Amino acid sequence: MEPTPLTTSSTLTSGALAAKPAGAAAHLDPHLHAPVPSFWPILLAGGIGAVFFLVFLVYLGVPLAGVLLAAAALYSLVAAAGWANTIAVERRLMDRLQTQKDLTRGFFFFLASEAMIFFAYFEYIYYTRFTGSVWPPAGMPKLETSLPAVATLILVGSSFTLNFAVKAFLRGKQAAAKNWMLLTIAMGIVFLGFQGFEWGYLNGVMSFTVTTGAFSSAYFIMTGFHGAHVTVGLLMLSLVYWRMEKGEYNRDYHMSLMAAEYYWHFVDIVWILLFFTLYLF
Amino acid sequence: MSTQVATLGEAHPRQYHGLLDWLTTTDHKKIGIMYLVFALINGWFGGSLAGLIRLNLYNPDWHIISPALYNQLMTMHATIMIFLVLMTSFAGLGNYLVPLMIGARDMAFPKLNAFSFWIMIPAALMLYGSFFIAGGAAQGGWWSYPPLSSLQYAPGHGEDLWILAVILLGIGSIMGAINFLVTIIDMRAPGMSWTKLPLFVWSWLVTAWMLLLALPVLSGAMIMLLSDRWLSTGFYRPALGGDPLLYQHLFWFFGHPEVYIMILPGFGMLSHIIPAMSRKKVFGYKGMMVALWAIGVIGFMVWAHHMFTAGISGAARMWFSMASMAISVPTGVKIYSWLASAWGGVIRFTTAMKFALGFIFTFVIGGLSGLMLAVVPFDIQVHNTYFVVAHFHYVLVGGSVMTLFAGIYFWFPKITGRMLSEKMGSWVFWLFFIGMNWVFMPMHLLGIDGMSRRVATYRPEFKPMNQFISEGFIFMLIAGLLFTYSILKALTQPKDAPDDPWDTQAIERSLEWETASPPPAYNFAEIPQIR
Ligand SMILES: [Cu+2]
Repeated sequence: MEPTPLTTSSTLTSGALAAKPAGAAAHLDPHLHAPVPSFWPILLAGGIGAVFFLVFLVYLGVPLAGVLLAAAALYSLVAAAGWANTIAVERRLMDRLQTQKDLTRGFFFFLASEAMIFFAYFEYIYYTRFTGSVWPPAGMPKLETSLPAVATLILVGSSFTLNFAVKAFLRGKQAAAKNWMLLTIAMGIVFLGFQGFEWGYLNGVMSFTVTTGAFSSAYFIMTGFHGAHVTVGLLMLSLVYWRMEKGEYNRDYHMSLMAAEYYWHFVDIVWILLFFTLYLF
Repeated sequence: MSTQVATLGEAHPRQYHGLLDWLTTTDHKKIGIMYLVFALINGWFGGSLAGLIRLNLYNPDWHIISPALYNQLMTMHATIMIFLVLMTSFAGLGNYLVPLMIGARDMAFPKLNAFSFWIMIPAALMLYGSFFIAGGAAQGGWWSYPPLSSLQYAPGHGEDLWILAVILLGIGSIMGAINFLVTIIDMRAPGMSWTKLPLFVWSWLVTAWMLLLALPVLSGAMIMLLSDRWLSTGFYRPALGGDPLLYQHLFWFFGHPEVYIMILPGFGMLSHIIPAMSRKKVFGYKGMMVALWAIGVIGFMVWAHHMFTAGISGAARMWFSMASMAISVPTGVKIYSWLASAWGGVIRFTTAMKFALGFIFTFVIGGLSGLMLAVVPFDIQVHNTYFVVAHFHYVLVGGSVMTLFAGIYFWFPKITGRMLSEKMGSWVFWLFFIGMNWVFMPMHLLGIDGMSRRVATYRPEFKPMNQFISEGFIFMLIAGLLFTYSILKALTQPKDAPDDPWDTQAIERSLEWETASPPPAYNFAEIPQIR
């Protein structure tokens, strides 16, 4: 059953809405305002720190480091899931509208910081291109564009199907929304398949590897970083689908659906720029 | 209604005590205190490295420190001071004060806030640990330019750990920036419009915006640097068509905004301290606000003034030179506004005010040498000399550190409920102020005379001046000892600080003075209404 949003408990976390009269008693009870302690932040920070250090040990070739790295990564995932779960529990205590507003805004800022990482790579490739004496650098094969073009169409199409899913959801057509969602996820997987094929082909047949030259290095780091984002996007969409299946969303509370949508569009836009930069330009 | 109460009771958060309380806290005030304590500890480490550097430079023939170790000390001194002391202590004061000043109960994402702090610990462990591995810590300076940081010239693994630590610190700072932005935009008390926002909060908004946009670029540059080392990619390797100069562009695209990230919160603090100690309203509130944003925007357009000798085009030199000079306009607006805020006021020369006024003196010197360095021919002349060292120490020590001292003396009673000794404070100020000018002023002359920075020794004619400088360091050391003692001493005393120890009633005061010293966990019994 959908828990009733507790609008009267807005004093718990939100400054802006707290002024609404919620009963003087609630205001003066210090326990209601005490920040909720949690082990998850320190546990996750330790996990991520361990992952970084173990990546280093794997690079050094320390025995068992790989196994420990996998364990640390798994541990970090568990910690992140535990953290996410406490949000779901505490959400009932908080003013959900305000929380969703905060999360949405925070998510946009997060996307801005992601865009700046891509900006560094784009700056790299354009700078190298316009200041380097020879372009394309010697020994660079011309990249085949027809298959990537098909992949591009699929990824761009998936932004539309996702948009249809959200629109259907907002109109209350749950079944249609879920179908469009599934189609979007399938298209994302197909895109990753194309990408994997392309990597294999370039590496194996064309001998175009990360060490071939500055362009190939940029090609692999940009498509690889983008592919990692597509993977994260797919995980988000799957989670959203699962929550739709469980009927956890309603008209007012579907922030993670919107977040997944924005993230997917973001990944799509980055790909269009990448396709233009790496394949066409 | 009854079910709601039941829900609240049932999910009532468990409270931990002692150490567990600190490890699990999501209270912005406790996290702020942890940031500040962490910064003080790291300040001692970073300061000790500076002491070793000054000891080695006391005599060019001593060679008590090998050139390789000297490079490590220099690299780690900068890295620790920038990432673990300055950014950390501003983050601590920001964490503590911003929610109080906007009348909120906490940050927008309290757990993310704790995460941003804790992620610094593994990064610090990796940085300090790198001293003890074969080959020692990173030697490439805090800028870590390739090819100096490439596998060929930096085969040791200290460089790898350094890169990983910087990426980790970046993650924490980006999360912190998102938290500050959302908190300030969404959590302001009812009635607190943008034009009523305290200037410290404005300064943190601009700082968070710069962190958000600058740090990811550093992370991107670091990932490429690491992949050149680990995967033999060609990003910065000319043999493969890559360009090491591009690293400098990416690094300083972060590096220059970073300078403002380390000073803007200090600017914000002065805009509280100077009016309070002069019993006047702050002069030119809107001008200060516009100046902060001007710095926050122009600050992104000046990065290549660090690269005048690196082979950039004449047009680029001209642009970056003029844009760098343009920043002195908003900075000047701020200096004049602070002076006007104090002008004609009833000035109380407390320790906080002494540091604030001392700051104006030292920061103007740092700003003037910065203007000189923005002039291309002069920059080419003194590039890589102690003139540059003098300049940025005047800005970071004479600027950031002085504002931090001022801020700590001003808000310590609010944070701990105890007053810091003003008598000792006066000693701390004079020792530090004299010490820092003693140490860094002669470096201008050494630079103009051509003494190279980043080198473990120097030509014999620079010996007298270097000995003079190293002696001045002792003053800063005693100031640091006295400051730390003063804090520890105060913590043993009873909590007798009033809610508003500086009696800011007369002026427009910010909300942190409206609540108890130290504030209760929930900050305000009732969310304040701003009229
Ligand atoms: Cu600069």
